[in-house]
Amino acid sequence: MDVSAIDYYANHGVSFLHGARALSKIIFAGLVIASVVISNSFYLLLAVYFSLLTIVIWTRLPVLKIVTIAAYPAIFALIFAAASWNGSWVSAGVIVLKALCASLAMVILIVTTPYPDVFSSIEPVLPRIIREGLFLTYRSLFVLLELTDNLVKGLRVRGGLTHGRYIKNVVNFSSGIGLLLVRGLDLSEKFYGVLNVRGYSGRISGGGRHEKTGVNDFTAIVIGVLILGAALVIKKNGELSVYDGCMLALSLAALVLSTAYVVLPNTWGRAWKK
Amino acid sequence: MSHMHIPDGVLPVWIVTAGWVVTALLLAFCIKRVSSIELKRKVPLIGIISALMIVGMTLEIVPIAYHINLTVVAGIVLGPALAFISVFIVDLLISMFGHGGVTVVGLNTIIIGAEAVLGYYLFQLFKEVMGNKSMFWESSLAALLSLLLSTSIMLGVVYISQISPEKIESIGHLVSGTGSNTNGLRVLEDGINFSRFAKTVFILSPLGWILESVITGLVVKYVFRVRPDLILPERA
Repeated sequence: MDVSAIDYYANHGVSFLHGARALSKIIFAGLVIASVVISNSFYLLLAVYFSLLTIVIWTRLPVLKIVTIAAYPAIFALIFAAASWNGSWVSAGVIVLKALCASLAMVILIVTTPYPDVFSSIEPVLPRIIREGLFLTYRSLFVLLELTDNLVKGLRVRGGLTHGRYIKNVVNFSSGIGLLLVRGLDLSEKFYGVLNVRGYSGRISGGGRHEKTGVNDFTAIVIGVLILGAALVIKKNGELSVYDGCMLALSLAALVLSTAYVVLPNTWGRAWKK
Repeated sequence: MSHMHIPDGVLPVWIVTAGWVVTALLLAFCIKRVSSIELKRKVPLIGIISALMIVGMTLEIVPIAYHINLTVVAGIVLGPALAFISVFIVDLLISMFGHGGVTVVGLNTIIIGAEAVLGYYLFQLFKEVMGNKSMFWESSLAALLSLLLSTSIMLGVVYISQISPEKIESIGHLVSGTGSNTNGLRVLEDGINFSRFAKTVFILSPLGWILESVITGLVVKYVFRVRPDLILPERA
Protein backbone atom coordinates (compact mmCIF):
# COMPACT_ATOMS: atom_id res chain seq x y z
CA MET A 1 0.00 0.00 0.00
CA ASP A 2 1.97 3.00 -1.24
CA VAL A 3 -0.20 5.82 0.09
CA SER A 4 2.06 8.64 -1.13
CA ALA A 5 2.09 7.25 -4.69
CA ILE A 6 -1.70 6.85 -4.67
CA ASP A 7 -2.12 10.46 -3.54
CA TYR A 8 0.30 11.64 -6.24
CA TYR A 9 -1.56 9.75 -9.00
CA ALA A 10 -4.91 11.12 -7.80
CA ASN A 11 -3.72 14.72 -7.84
CA HIS A 12 -1.54 14.73 -10.97
CA GLY A 13 -3.35 12.47 -13.44
CA VAL A 14 -4.95 13.87 -16.60
CA SER A 15 -7.17 11.02 -17.83
CA PHE A 16 -10.93 11.10 -18.50
CA LEU A 17 -11.51 9.57 -15.05
CA HIS A 18 -9.43 12.31 -13.39
CA GLY A 19 -11.77 14.79 -15.09
CA ALA A 20 -14.94 13.14 -13.75
CA ARG A 21 -16.67 14.06 -10.50
CA ALA A 22 -15.94 11.98 -7.41
CA LEU A 23 -19.60 10.99 -7.07
CA SER A 24 -19.69 9.57 -10.63
CA LYS A 25 -16.61 7.46 -9.89
CA ILE A 26 -18.08 6.28 -6.59
CA ILE A 27 -21.21 5.19 -8.51
CA PHE A 28 -18.96 3.45 -11.09
CA ALA A 29 -17.07 1.58 -8.35
CA GLY A 30 -20.36 0.70 -6.62
CA LEU A 31 -21.82 -0.73 -9.84
CA VAL A 32 -18.70 -2.82 -10.50
CA ILE A 33 -18.70 -4.15 -6.92
CA ALA A 34 -22.42 -4.96 -7.19
CA SER A 35 -21.72 -6.96 -10.36
CA VAL A 36 -18.86 -8.77 -8.60
CA VAL A 37 -21.14 -9.60 -5.65
CA ILE A 38 -23.93 -11.08 -7.80
CA SER A 39 -21.77 -12.86 -10.38
CA ASN A 40 -20.40 -16.37 -10.03
CA SER A 41 -19.31 -16.80 -13.64
CA PHE A 42 -15.56 -17.25 -14.02
CA TYR A 43 -15.52 -15.93 -17.59
CA LEU A 44 -17.63 -12.88 -16.77
CA LEU A 45 -15.42 -12.01 -13.79
CA LEU A 46 -12.34 -12.41 -15.97
CA ALA A 47 -13.98 -10.14 -18.57
CA VAL A 48 -14.70 -7.56 -15.83
CA TYR A 49 -11.07 -7.75 -14.70
CA PHE A 50 -9.81 -7.23 -18.26
CA SER A 51 -12.22 -4.29 -18.66
CA LEU A 52 -10.90 -2.72 -15.45
CA LEU A 53 -7.33 -3.27 -16.66
CA THR A 54 -8.29 -1.47 -19.87
CA ILE A 55 -9.58 1.46 -17.80
CA VAL A 56 -6.30 1.49 -15.83
CA ILE A 57 -4.43 1.75 -19.14
CA TRP A 58 -6.66 4.66 -20.18
CA THR A 59 -5.77 6.50 -16.96
CA ARG A 60 -2.16 6.58 -18.28
CA LEU A 61 -0.83 5.84 -14.81
CA PRO A 62 1.81 3.14 -14.06
CA VAL A 63 -0.26 0.04 -14.77
CA LEU A 64 1.96 -2.50 -13.02
CA LYS A 65 2.10 -0.43 -9.82
CA ILE A 66 -1.69 -0.05 -9.71
CA VAL A 67 -2.29 -3.72 -10.44
CA THR A 68 0.19 -4.64 -7.69
CA ILE A 69 -1.57 -2.36 -5.16
CA ALA A 70 -4.91 -3.96 -6.07
CA ALA A 71 -3.55 -7.51 -5.96
CA TYR A 72 -3.00 -7.62 -2.18
CA PRO A 73 -6.48 -9.03 -1.31
CA ALA A 74 -5.75 -11.99 -3.60
CA ILE A 75 -3.44 -13.42 -0.91
CA PHE A 76 -6.29 -13.74 1.58
CA ALA A 77 -8.68 -14.82 -1.18
CA LEU A 78 -6.31 -17.73 -1.84
CA ILE A 79 -6.84 -18.93 1.75
CA PHE A 80 -10.58 -18.83 1.11
CA ALA A 81 -10.15 -20.55 -2.23
CA ALA A 82 -8.07 -23.29 -0.56
CA ALA A 83 -10.74 -23.70 2.13
CA SER A 84 -13.48 -23.95 -0.52
CA TRP A 85 -11.48 -26.30 -2.75
CA ASN A 86 -13.76 -28.86 -4.38
CA GLY A 87 -11.36 -30.06 -7.04
CA SER A 88 -12.32 -27.33 -9.51
CA TRP A 89 -9.95 -24.54 -10.44
CA VAL A 90 -12.91 -22.52 -11.69
CA SER A 91 -14.53 -22.12 -8.24
CA ALA A 92 -11.17 -21.17 -6.72
CA GLY A 93 -10.64 -18.74 -9.61
CA VAL A 94 -14.05 -17.14 -9.00
CA ILE A 95 -13.12 -16.31 -5.38
CA VAL A 96 -9.74 -14.85 -6.37
CA LEU A 97 -11.23 -12.90 -9.29
CA LYS A 98 -13.98 -11.45 -7.08
CA ALA A 99 -11.27 -10.13 -4.75
CA LEU A 100 -9.18 -8.76 -7.62
CA CYS A 101 -12.09 -7.07 -9.45
CA ALA A 102 -13.57 -5.35 -6.37
CA SER A 103 -10.14 -4.25 -5.22
CA LEU A 104 -9.15 -2.91 -8.65
CA ALA A 105 -12.45 -0.97 -8.91
CA MET A 106 -11.73 0.72 -5.56
CA VAL A 107 -8.10 1.38 -6.49
CA ILE A 108 -9.20 2.96 -9.80
CA LEU A 109 -11.48 5.25 -7.78
CA ILE A 110 -8.74 6.24 -5.38
CA VAL A 111 -5.90 6.75 -7.90
CA THR A 112 -8.10 9.06 -9.97
CA THR A 113 -9.77 10.99 -7.14
CA PRO A 114 -8.07 13.09 -4.43
CA TYR A 115 -9.14 11.97 -0.95
CA PRO A 116 -10.82 15.27 0.05
CA ASP A 117 -13.12 14.88 -2.99
CA VAL A 118 -14.06 11.34 -1.95
CA PHE A 119 -14.67 12.47 1.65
CA SER A 120 -16.77 15.45 0.61
CA SER A 121 -18.93 13.14 -1.55
CA ILE A 122 -19.64 10.70 1.29
CA GLU A 123 -19.84 13.27 4.11
CA PRO A 124 -23.66 13.70 4.02
CA VAL A 125 -24.06 10.12 5.27
CA LEU A 126 -21.43 10.28 8.01
CA PRO A 127 -21.64 11.74 11.54
CA ARG A 128 -19.39 14.72 12.27
CA ILE A 129 -16.91 12.79 14.43
CA ILE A 130 -16.30 10.27 11.63
CA ARG A 131 -15.87 13.09 9.09
CA GLU A 132 -13.35 14.87 11.30
CA GLY A 133 -11.62 11.59 12.08
CA LEU A 134 -11.33 10.74 8.37
CA PHE A 135 -9.93 14.16 7.58
CA LEU A 136 -7.40 14.18 10.42
CA THR A 137 -6.40 10.58 9.72
CA TYR A 138 -5.72 11.47 6.10
CA ARG A 139 -3.69 14.51 7.14
CA SER A 140 -1.83 12.61 9.86
CA LEU A 141 -1.07 9.76 7.49
CA PHE A 142 1.32 11.85 5.41
CA VAL A 143 2.90 13.39 8.51
CA LEU A 144 3.46 9.90 9.92
CA LEU A 145 4.79 8.50 6.64
CA GLU A 146 7.41 11.25 6.57
CA LEU A 147 8.27 10.69 10.24
CA THR A 148 8.48 6.92 9.60
CA ASP A 149 10.85 7.49 6.71
CA ASN A 150 13.09 9.68 8.86
CA LEU A 151 12.87 7.23 11.76
CA VAL A 152 13.93 4.23 9.66
CA LYS A 153 16.81 6.24 8.17
CA GLY A 154 17.85 7.41 11.65
CA LEU A 155 17.70 3.87 13.07
CA ARG A 156 19.79 2.51 10.18
CA VAL A 157 22.42 5.25 10.46
CA ARG A 158 22.79 4.72 14.21
CA GLY A 159 22.89 0.92 13.92
CA GLY A 160 19.41 0.44 15.38
CA LEU A 161 18.37 -1.85 12.51
CA THR A 162 21.12 -4.33 11.66
CA HIS A 163 21.20 -7.77 10.06
CA GLY A 164 21.25 -10.68 12.45
CA ARG A 165 20.13 -8.78 15.58
CA TYR A 166 16.42 -9.39 15.17
CA ILE A 167 15.32 -9.03 18.81
CA LYS A 168 17.18 -5.74 19.17
CA ASN A 169 15.68 -4.60 15.85
CA VAL A 170 12.13 -5.35 17.06
CA VAL A 171 12.77 -3.48 20.33
CA ASN A 172 14.19 -0.43 18.54
CA PHE A 173 11.50 -0.45 15.87
CA SER A 174 8.71 -0.71 18.46
CA SER A 175 10.15 2.19 20.46
CA GLY A 176 10.22 4.06 17.15
CA ILE A 177 6.50 3.43 16.68
CA GLY A 178 5.91 4.76 20.19
CA LEU A 179 7.95 7.84 19.31
CA LEU A 180 5.87 8.29 16.12
CA LEU A 181 2.71 8.18 18.21
CA VAL A 182 3.92 10.82 20.66
CA ARG A 183 5.39 13.15 18.01
CA GLY A 184 2.48 12.63 15.63
CA LEU A 185 0.03 13.47 18.39
CA ASP A 186 1.79 16.77 19.11
CA LEU A 187 1.68 17.70 15.42
CA SER A 188 -1.94 16.61 15.04
CA GLU A 189 -3.04 18.64 18.11
CA LYS A 190 -1.29 21.74 16.74
CA PHE A 191 -2.86 21.21 13.31
CA TYR A 192 -6.36 20.76 14.76
CA GLY A 193 -5.90 23.86 16.94
CA VAL A 194 -4.88 25.93 13.91
CA LEU A 195 -7.86 24.61 11.93
CA ASN A 196 -10.27 25.62 14.70
CA VAL A 197 -8.73 29.10 14.98
CA ARG A 198 -9.26 29.48 11.21
CA GLY A 199 -12.96 28.69 11.56
CA TYR A 200 -13.01 24.98 10.74
CA SER A 201 -16.53 23.65 11.35
CA GLY A 202 -16.14 19.97 10.56
CA ARG A 203 -17.05 20.31 6.87
CA ILE A 204 -14.67 18.92 4.26
CA SER A 205 -14.47 20.93 1.07
CA GLY A 206 -13.82 19.00 -2.11
CA GLY A 207 -11.79 21.87 -3.52
CA GLY A 208 -14.39 22.81 -6.12
CA ARG A 209 -12.90 20.61 -8.90
CA HIS A 210 -15.21 19.28 -11.60
CA GLU A 211 -18.43 20.63 -10.15
CA LYS A 212 -20.32 20.28 -13.44
CA THR A 213 -21.40 16.92 -14.74
CA GLY A 214 -19.86 16.26 -18.15
CA VAL A 215 -19.04 13.59 -20.67
CA ASN A 216 -16.41 12.06 -18.38
CA ASP A 217 -19.02 11.42 -15.68
CA PHE A 218 -21.36 9.96 -18.28
CA THR A 219 -18.62 7.63 -19.58
CA ALA A 220 -17.72 6.38 -16.08
CA ILE A 221 -21.34 5.66 -15.16
CA VAL A 222 -22.14 4.01 -18.52
CA ILE A 223 -19.16 1.63 -18.16
CA GLY A 224 -20.39 0.71 -14.66
CA VAL A 225 -23.97 0.20 -15.89
CA LEU A 226 -22.78 -1.99 -18.78
CA ILE A 227 -20.74 -4.20 -16.44
CA LEU A 228 -23.64 -4.55 -13.98
CA GLY A 229 -26.09 -5.13 -16.84
CA ALA A 230 -23.96 -7.97 -18.21
CA ALA A 231 -23.73 -9.54 -14.74
CA LEU A 232 -27.51 -9.27 -14.24
CA VAL A 233 -28.34 -10.78 -17.63
CA ILE A 234 -26.01 -13.72 -17.08
CA LYS A 235 -27.27 -14.20 -13.52
CA LYS A 236 -30.91 -14.24 -14.69
CA ASN A 237 -30.36 -16.52 -17.70
CA GLY A 238 -27.91 -19.15 -16.53
CA GLU A 239 -27.95 -20.81 -19.95
CA LEU A 240 -26.47 -17.71 -21.58
CA SER A 241 -23.00 -19.00 -20.78
CA VAL A 242 -21.94 -18.67 -24.41
CA TYR A 243 -22.17 -14.91 -23.95
CA ASP A 244 -19.60 -15.13 -21.12
CA GLY A 245 -17.08 -16.21 -23.75
CA CYS A 246 -18.09 -13.37 -26.09
CA MET A 247 -17.67 -10.82 -23.31
CA LEU A 248 -14.31 -12.29 -22.41
CA ALA A 249 -13.17 -12.08 -26.04
CA LEU A 250 -14.45 -8.49 -26.34
CA SER A 251 -12.78 -7.33 -23.13
CA LEU A 252 -9.52 -9.05 -24.10
CA ALA A 253 -9.63 -7.34 -27.50
CA ALA A 254 -10.27 -3.97 -25.81
CA LEU A 255 -7.33 -4.62 -23.46
CA VAL A 256 -4.95 -5.53 -26.29
CA LEU A 257 -6.02 -2.59 -28.45
CA SER A 258 -5.79 -0.12 -25.55
CA THR A 259 -2.34 -1.42 -24.66
CA ALA A 260 -1.21 -0.95 -28.24
CA TYR A 261 -2.78 2.50 -28.47
CA VAL A 262 -1.75 3.96 -25.11
CA VAL A 263 1.26 2.06 -23.84
CA LEU A 264 3.38 0.94 -26.77
CA PRO A 265 5.26 3.87 -28.32
CA ASN A 266 5.72 4.28 -32.09
CA THR A 267 3.09 1.76 -32.99
CA TRP A 268 0.17 1.95 -35.38
CA GLY A 269 -1.87 3.09 -32.38
CA ARG A 270 0.20 6.27 -32.02
CA ALA A 271 0.00 6.84 -35.79
CA TRP A 272 -3.77 6.40 -35.72
CA LYS A 273 -3.96 8.89 -32.86
CA LYS A 274 -2.29 11.50 -35.07
CA MET B 1 -4.69 -12.63 10.60
CA SER B 2 -7.64 -11.44 12.65
CA HIS B 3 -8.09 -8.72 10.06
CA MET B 4 -10.65 -10.16 7.69
CA HIS B 5 -9.57 -9.73 4.08
CA ILE B 6 -12.63 -11.57 2.87
CA PRO B 7 -13.21 -10.58 -0.72
CA ASP B 8 -16.41 -8.87 -1.81
CA GLY B 9 -19.04 -11.33 -2.93
CA VAL B 10 -17.79 -14.35 -0.99
CA LEU B 11 -20.02 -13.89 2.06
CA PRO B 12 -23.81 -13.92 1.66
CA VAL B 13 -25.51 -10.54 1.36
CA TRP B 14 -27.56 -11.02 4.54
CA ILE B 15 -24.48 -11.33 6.78
CA VAL B 16 -22.77 -8.39 5.08
CA THR B 17 -25.91 -6.25 5.60
CA ALA B 18 -26.18 -7.44 9.21
CA GLY B 19 -22.55 -6.41 9.72
CA TRP B 20 -23.28 -2.87 8.50
CA VAL B 21 -26.42 -2.59 10.66
CA VAL B 22 -24.66 -3.79 13.82
CA THR B 23 -21.68 -1.51 13.13
CA ALA B 24 -23.99 1.50 12.63
CA LEU B 25 -25.74 0.76 15.92
CA LEU B 26 -22.45 0.29 17.77
CA LEU B 27 -21.06 3.52 16.28
CA ALA B 28 -24.18 5.42 17.37
CA PHE B 29 -23.78 3.94 20.86
CA CYS B 30 -20.07 4.86 21.01
CA ILE B 31 -20.67 8.45 19.81
CA LYS B 32 -23.49 8.89 22.33
CA ARG B 33 -21.37 7.47 25.12
CA VAL B 34 -18.56 10.01 24.75
CA SER B 35 -19.37 13.60 25.69
CA SER B 36 -19.06 16.21 22.93
CA ILE B 37 -16.32 18.06 24.86
CA GLU B 38 -14.24 14.89 25.19
CA LEU B 39 -14.84 14.11 21.51
CA LYS B 40 -13.51 17.51 20.43
CA ARG B 41 -10.46 17.08 22.65
CA LYS B 42 -9.75 13.57 21.42
CA VAL B 43 -10.27 14.08 17.65
CA PRO B 44 -6.52 14.69 16.98
CA LEU B 45 -5.72 11.54 18.98
CA ILE B 46 -8.26 9.52 16.93
CA GLY B 47 -6.64 10.90 13.75
CA ILE B 48 -3.10 10.03 14.75
CA ILE B 49 -3.94 6.56 16.14
CA SER B 50 -5.95 5.72 13.00
CA ALA B 51 -3.08 6.94 10.82
CA LEU B 52 -0.62 4.90 12.91
CA MET B 53 -2.73 1.78 12.39
CA ILE B 54 -2.73 2.40 8.62
CA VAL B 55 1.05 2.98 8.61
CA GLY B 56 1.40 -0.31 10.53
CA MET B 57 -0.71 -2.02 7.90
CA THR B 58 1.53 -0.75 5.11
CA LEU B 59 4.44 -2.68 6.63
CA GLU B 60 3.51 -6.09 5.28
CA ILE B 61 5.34 -9.37 5.70
CA VAL B 62 4.47 -10.49 2.18
CA PRO B 63 4.77 -14.32 2.18
CA ILE B 64 2.25 -14.70 5.05
CA ALA B 65 0.34 -11.46 4.29
CA TYR B 66 0.76 -10.38 7.89
CA HIS B 67 1.09 -6.84 9.11
CA ILE B 68 0.88 -5.19 12.49
CA ASN B 69 -2.55 -3.80 13.37
CA LEU B 70 -1.84 -1.84 16.60
CA THR B 71 -5.53 -2.16 17.48
CA VAL B 72 -4.79 -2.97 21.12
CA VAL B 73 -2.57 0.13 21.34
CA ALA B 74 -5.60 2.05 19.99
CA GLY B 75 -7.85 0.47 22.61
CA ILE B 76 -5.44 1.25 25.47
CA VAL B 77 -4.79 4.87 24.40
CA LEU B 78 -8.28 5.85 23.19
CA GLY B 79 -10.54 3.75 25.40
CA PRO B 80 -13.20 1.37 24.06
CA ALA B 81 -15.69 3.83 22.51
CA LEU B 82 -13.19 6.02 20.65
CA ALA B 83 -11.13 2.99 19.62
CA PHE B 84 -14.20 1.51 17.93
CA ILE B 85 -14.75 4.77 16.03
CA SER B 86 -11.06 4.80 15.07
CA VAL B 87 -11.26 1.20 13.82
CA PHE B 88 -14.24 2.10 11.61
CA ILE B 89 -12.29 5.02 10.11
CA VAL B 90 -9.29 2.77 9.43
CA ASP B 91 -11.43 0.06 7.82
CA LEU B 92 -13.22 2.58 5.64
CA LEU B 93 -9.94 4.11 4.48
CA ILE B 94 -8.08 0.88 3.80
CA SER B 95 -11.05 -0.56 1.91
CA MET B 96 -10.50 2.30 -0.55
CA PHE B 97 -6.99 0.93 -1.16
CA GLY B 98 -8.55 -2.43 -1.97
CA HIS B 99 -7.20 -3.74 1.35
CA GLY B 100 -10.20 -5.80 2.52
CA GLY B 101 -13.53 -5.76 0.75
CA VAL B 102 -15.57 -2.57 0.82
CA THR B 103 -18.81 -4.47 1.45
CA VAL B 104 -17.31 -6.19 4.50
CA VAL B 105 -16.24 -2.96 6.23
CA GLY B 106 -19.11 -3.47 8.70
CA LEU B 107 -18.02 -6.99 9.63
CA ASN B 108 -14.36 -5.97 9.72
CA THR B 109 -15.19 -3.13 12.10
CA ILE B 110 -17.01 -5.51 14.45
CA ILE B 111 -14.09 -7.97 14.49
CA ILE B 112 -11.24 -5.49 14.78
CA GLY B 113 -13.30 -3.23 17.02
CA ALA B 114 -13.82 -6.22 19.33
CA GLU B 115 -10.03 -6.65 19.34
CA ALA B 116 -9.53 -3.04 20.45
CA VAL B 117 -12.32 -3.14 23.06
CA LEU B 118 -11.19 -6.50 24.46
CA GLY B 119 -7.60 -5.25 24.47
CA TYR B 120 -8.62 -2.26 26.58
CA TYR B 121 -10.56 -4.28 29.15
CA LEU B 122 -7.94 -7.05 29.36
CA PHE B 123 -5.22 -4.42 29.82
CA GLN B 124 -7.20 -2.84 32.67
CA LEU B 125 -7.64 -6.28 34.24
CA PHE B 126 -3.96 -7.26 33.95
CA LYS B 127 -2.93 -3.85 35.24
CA GLU B 128 -4.98 -4.43 38.40
CA VAL B 129 -3.81 -8.02 38.83
CA MET B 130 -0.11 -7.71 37.94
CA GLY B 131 0.65 -4.17 39.01
CA ASN B 132 3.79 -4.22 36.85
CA LYS B 133 5.18 -0.74 36.44
CA SER B 134 6.58 -1.06 32.92
CA MET B 135 3.20 -2.02 31.35
CA PHE B 136 4.99 -4.40 28.93
CA TRP B 137 3.54 -7.69 30.14
CA GLU B 138 0.06 -6.28 30.76
CA SER B 139 -0.26 -4.90 27.25
CA SER B 140 1.44 -7.89 25.59
CA LEU B 141 -0.83 -10.39 27.24
CA ALA B 142 -3.86 -8.21 26.53
CA ALA B 143 -2.85 -8.08 22.85
CA LEU B 144 -2.21 -11.83 22.63
CA LEU B 145 -5.57 -12.76 24.18
CA SER B 146 -7.58 -10.20 22.25
CA LEU B 147 -6.00 -11.37 18.96
CA LEU B 148 -6.93 -14.95 19.82
CA LEU B 149 -10.48 -13.90 20.67
CA SER B 150 -10.95 -11.66 17.63
CA THR B 151 -9.64 -14.39 15.32
CA SER B 152 -12.20 -16.70 16.91
CA ILE B 153 -14.91 -14.09 16.25
CA MET B 154 -13.75 -13.89 12.63
CA LEU B 155 -14.02 -17.68 12.34
CA GLY B 156 -17.45 -17.45 13.97
CA VAL B 157 -18.56 -14.98 11.30
CA VAL B 158 -17.31 -17.30 8.55
CA TYR B 159 -19.08 -20.25 10.23
CA ILE B 160 -22.36 -18.33 10.53
CA SER B 161 -22.04 -17.18 6.92
CA GLN B 162 -22.39 -20.82 5.80
CA ILE B 163 -25.97 -20.73 7.02
CA SER B 164 -28.13 -19.15 4.35
CA PRO B 165 -31.70 -18.14 5.28
CA GLU B 166 -33.11 -20.84 2.96
CA LYS B 167 -31.33 -23.46 5.00
CA ILE B 168 -32.36 -22.17 8.43
CA GLU B 169 -35.35 -24.49 8.34
CA SER B 170 -33.16 -27.57 8.02
CA ILE B 171 -30.95 -26.29 10.82
CA GLY B 172 -34.07 -25.78 12.92
CA HIS B 173 -34.85 -29.46 12.39
CA LEU B 174 -31.31 -30.34 13.33
CA VAL B 175 -31.41 -28.28 16.53
CA SER B 176 -34.79 -29.62 17.53
CA GLY B 177 -33.55 -33.15 16.90
CA THR B 178 -35.91 -33.85 14.01
CA GLY B 179 -33.18 -33.80 11.35
CA SER B 180 -30.10 -35.90 10.78
CA ASN B 181 -26.51 -34.84 11.19
CA THR B 182 -25.90 -35.22 7.46
CA ASN B 183 -28.36 -32.39 6.95
CA GLY B 184 -26.17 -30.06 8.99
CA LEU B 185 -22.99 -31.23 7.29
CA ARG B 186 -24.48 -30.50 3.89
CA VAL B 187 -25.01 -26.90 4.99
CA LEU B 188 -21.24 -26.56 5.42
CA GLU B 189 -20.29 -28.63 2.41
CA ASP B 190 -22.05 -26.21 0.08
CA GLY B 191 -19.55 -23.42 0.70
CA ILE B 192 -16.26 -23.06 2.53
CA ASN B 193 -14.86 -26.11 4.28
CA PHE B 194 -14.93 -24.56 7.72
CA SER B 195 -12.58 -26.94 9.51
CA ARG B 196 -9.99 -26.58 6.73
CA PHE B 197 -10.33 -22.80 6.86
CA ALA B 198 -10.04 -22.73 10.66
CA LYS B 199 -6.95 -24.97 10.55
CA THR B 200 -5.30 -22.73 7.93
CA VAL B 201 -6.02 -19.62 9.99
CA PHE B 202 -4.81 -21.17 13.25
CA ILE B 203 -1.61 -22.43 11.58
CA LEU B 204 -0.78 -19.04 10.04
CA SER B 205 -1.89 -16.79 12.89
CA PRO B 206 0.19 -17.57 16.04
CA LEU B 207 3.42 -16.15 14.58
CA GLY B 208 1.57 -12.91 13.84
CA TRP B 209 -0.07 -12.84 17.29
CA ILE B 210 3.29 -13.19 19.02
CA LEU B 211 4.90 -10.50 16.88
CA GLU B 212 1.98 -8.14 17.34
CA SER B 213 1.79 -8.68 21.11
CA VAL B 214 5.55 -8.08 21.56
CA ILE B 215 5.38 -4.90 19.48
CA THR B 216 2.25 -3.74 21.35
CA GLY B 217 4.00 -4.33 24.68
CA LEU B 218 7.10 -2.40 23.60
CA VAL B 219 5.08 0.49 22.14
CA VAL B 220 2.94 0.82 25.27
CA LYS B 221 6.07 0.57 27.46
CA TYR B 222 7.73 3.40 25.51
CA VAL B 223 4.64 5.64 25.48
CA PHE B 224 4.13 5.02 29.22
CA ARG B 225 7.69 6.16 29.88
CA VAL B 226 7.40 9.33 27.76
CA ARG B 227 3.71 10.30 28.04
CA PRO B 228 2.18 8.31 30.94
CA ASP B 229 -1.01 10.39 30.68
CA LEU B 230 -1.82 8.67 27.36
CA ILE B 231 -1.78 5.23 28.98
CA LEU B 232 -3.16 6.19 32.39
CA PRO B 233 -5.46 9.21 31.86
CA GLU B 234 -5.96 9.49 35.63
CA ARG B 235 -2.33 10.65 35.88
CA ALA B 236 -2.98 13.59 33.55
